Amino acid sequence: MSIIFSIDAPYRGQYELHRLTYGSGGPSVAIVAGLHGNELNGIHAVNMLNKMLRVQRPMGTVHLFPLVNTFGADQATKRWPYDDQDINHAFPGDPDGSVVQRIAHALFESTDAEVCIDVHSGAPHVREIPQVRAPMGGDELELARAMKLPVVWRRPGIRLEPTGLIGAWRAAGRKALHMVGGRGITLDNRHATTMANGLFNLLGHLGVCGQAATDMDIVADVTHADVEAHRASCGGFFVAEVRVGDPVQPGHLLGYIQAPVGGERLDEVRAGQPGIVMTVRAYPMVHAQELLVRVAGTP
Amino acid sequence: MSEMSAVIQVELPSGDELAIIRRRFGRGGPGVPRVAIVAGIRGDAPEGVRVAHQVAKVLEECEDRLTGVVDVYPCANPLGAHQGTRVWPFFDVDLNRRFPGKETGHQPDRVAHALFTDIRGAAQVIEIRGAREAFSEVIHAQVRERDTAAAELAMGANVSVVWARKPGPAATQTFAHQFPGTIVLEGGTGNRLNATVGQDLQEGVIHLLTQVGVLSEVDLPFHWAAMNRPTVVNDAQVFRVRAERSGLFLPEFGVWSEVEEGATLGHVIDSENGSILETISSPTRGRVMAVREHPVVYVGTMVARVVAL
Repeated sequence: MSIIFSIDAPYRGQYELHRLTYGSGGPSVAIVAGLHGNELNGIHAVNMLNKMLRVQRPMGTVHLFPLVNTFGADQATKRWPYDDQDINHAFPGDPDGSVVQRIAHALFESTDAEVCIDVHSGAPHVREIPQVRAPMGGDELELARAMKLPVVWRRPGIRLEPTGLIGAWRAAGRKALHMVGGRGITLDNRHATTMANGLFNLLGHLGVCGQAATDMDIVADVTHADVEAHRASCGGFFVAEVRVGDPVQPGHLLGYIQAPVGGERLDEVRAGQPGIVMTVRAYPMVHAQELLVRVAGTP
Repeated sequence: MSEMSAVIQVELPSGDELAIIRRRFGRGGPGVPRVAIVAGIRGDAPEGVRVAHQVAKVLEECEDRLTGVVDVYPCANPLGAHQGTRVWPFFDVDLNRRFPGKETGHQPDRVAHALFTDIRGAAQVIEIRGAREAFSEVIHAQVRERDTAAAELAMGANVSVVWARKPGPAATQTFAHQFPGTIVLEGGTGNRLNATVGQDLQEGVIHLLTQVGVLSEVDLPFHWAAMNRPTVVNDAQVFRVRAERSGLFLPEFGVWSEVEEGATLGHVIDSENGSILETISSPTRGRVMAVREHPVVYVGTMVARVVAL
């Protein structure tokens, strides 16, 4: 383990950005987690991968950054807590800039690999099935499929502005993918394990590690048009009737919105297509138009 | 009689309703100019909200003599203002990074979209805001680089300096970027009110209304000659001064102090034993535009902004 960047912090110990490196030569892979301090599944997944790699002899180089935003994780906040800045909006960073710009710069410079993966949890108020999601095609799509996570979502637009890590990596010519699973603030051990296995599958596909981890497989390989997003028709208290990963058929009750006082049922949400539940609202108080459930269509 | 309406009304999960208010002064019609004055996009900059209400009070008194329409949006982020937070609560997003918004998006996106749609077509847009949290700022106007018309107009905004800024990477999603020629007026201290700053900003906005032709100079509640005469500066003249050590920053100059190149702007001291870790000097001869008011700094934290004059 090496410290690739550090800064003094008033009233507390130094901030240190840690990197764990296995192997040498090509192909090279960089895997980053904990850019958002409250997204714990990625941190756990990358630490599980670290344990897998300890008993491997990688045929290539693997750089792991299990937890970038340690100060945010200390305080269960997504952003860097000192000035409430999102590190994932500070790329490619600036060595002479603000503290998040310096962290972003150090991370960007030290992830100079052919394949780069940014691992996240869902937001604190939703739970996501482990998935790869980003605009992708060609080699990147092949890499995403090689992970064999339950969902591959060719989603347009997500975090591709050059100030985001994925966008900055791609602007620099690196193959970059965005992995998401579980819910922010909480640890979903089952999902984190799936994500770790997905990362290991990717290393197996690249020939860095000898064998794939499991017999996992993709359940839904979808474009944006195949994803059915159900939004709240009104504000209220949402009660989910499904969990992520559940298969559903048209008409299946996904959940309902009730009045927060009295419990009167205000609306029901039903699936419109056969598929797998990929996102479920976890925090029940919902505003009108907020996302409640996503269903990824299956053949 | 002014008209008050809700640009958008959004429902909270608890059943409460939240309205983004617009106060319209004057009568519209073909060829009649419309000015939009917007405040409170961030909840931690209440100076702008105060000034918007003060301006509305002046407009109430001379509404029958207006030769155009003035729309005042006193607070675009009322939930943030309620809590004194920069971002839109719960969604935790900066409304000033959501424009032009989305009609079918989440609550802050819909608010941004409603504001954008309502303001589109205005002859002049003015955004008023206090300084960001932890800073004090001199009263200044920001306009887009190379927008000479906006810079010239902003000269009449009763500010100390007009800053013609190059748009940054996030600029395309800001409120001001949506409307060419927008003048952003900023000053005071984050999450605080300052009576002098409020008065100066109010007079600046009222004077701008005379400059764009919706209010006669006869109706100015002060003499136009009392306006500040600012200098227009560009990015090359504005120096961001950053700490190179982490600790506590103790400033030695106040906002708009004159400084010589090399003058001590402040010290960074050790947060535990108080020893001086760094002496921070002015990179140029000029004036201090902004000073950090909250002492905790990291390496790289901006502690002051100095403008070369």
